[in-house]
Amino acid sequence: MKTEHVDSAVLADYWLGLRAEEAIEEHLFACDRCCDRLREIVSLAEGIRQLARKGSLRMIVPDTFLKRATADGVRVRQYAPPPGGSVECTVTAEDDVLVGRLAANLSGVWRLDLSLCNEAGVEQLRLQDIPFNSSTGDVIYQESITYLKAAPTNKMIARLVTVDEVGSEQLLGEYTFNHTRSLPGPGAW
Amino acid sequence: MEIELDNGGLVRQIQAGDRGAEAELFRRMAPRIRLYGLRHLRDAYAADDLTQQVLITALEALRAGRLREPEKLPSFVLGISRVTVIELRRTSQRRERLLETFGPDLAPAAQLPVPRLDHDQLERCVQDLRERERTVVMMTFYDEQTGAEVADLLGISEANVRVIRHRAIHQLRACMGGTA
Repeated sequence: MKTEHVDSAVLADYWLGLRAEEAIEEHLFACDRCCDRLREIVSLAEGIRQLARKGSLRMIVPDTFLKRATADGVRVRQYAPPPGGSVECTVTAEDDVLVGRLAANLSGVWRLDLSLCNEAGVEQLRLQDIPFNSSTGDVIYQESITYLKAAPTNKMIARLVTVDEVGSEQLLGEYTFNHTRSLPGPGAW
Repeated sequence: MEIELDNGGLVRQIQAGDRGAEAELFRRMAPRIRLYGLRHLRDAYAADDLTQQVLITALEALRAGRLREPEKLPSFVLGISRVTVIELRRTSQRRERLLETFGPDLAPAAQLPVPRLDHDQLERCVQDLRERERTVVMMTFYDEQTGAEVADLLGISEANVRVIRHRAIHQLRACMGGTA
């Protein structure tokens, strides 16, 4: 086993406690190269944890993620506009993470995209094939707090769009976020 | 002093009283023990303590000729590490006693290189992942969810979660230049 190096994904599984330990540990104690790669994984893991607490990523998060963040002392601001409705929102200097809860009936959905549009309804960004659980009844979207803290007062329209096997799209829900800037900064981009 | 010995040669040199060989043992094994400690104790200070204790115990045993198959040095040290982790979880008394005796000789063991991470680049790399990959990575590394828990939360199979996680890790390493 000494000459067959351990795949980095397997090392990550080992680090995360998702894999049996003994054979990997025997190898690690005899292989400097794999130890170096495991150190890279450890560094990567810590970097990802810091990134999660920073709230700067645009991504779909589950409820457990928010609970964990709150338990870690991360300040989470949440908005939940109703489908077809809007919500007045802002972000303050004290906020670490900002999410929008997008309620929708997800039963029978094959693929789901999240389309982020400007106030004219023109798509600016699309998150394709987002993860969801049809039993939860909502999608939690984390907006980059770094972006929002710098953003001027503006309106963002989020659309959940279903995509079927042949690529046909259907609007599942539309949600409007009326963002008011509460931090010093530009009035417009 | 550069010593390039295989494990068997290293053990025999230590048994012969070669201090240079003892230093080489520390250099060779300390990073491995510390990683083991981080994995099992999840605490950098505890991992440093473990490293020192294991090296002390190993050195005592090697000096006394208690390793009968010198080529099995890595397994021997791993075995000590396993036992020591169990002991560490039980009590810290022995640690304090050993450190009083051997502490000054072990300072280099704690000075291990840590890979530097470009956090801005990591952010770009994570943002470049596919949506499912990013969520799975975050749930796994930050939220510490098991494969089964992630699968349940996302409504996909555990095998699918593993495939997504592995693909994401390979992509992240590649994006970080293999030096993440």
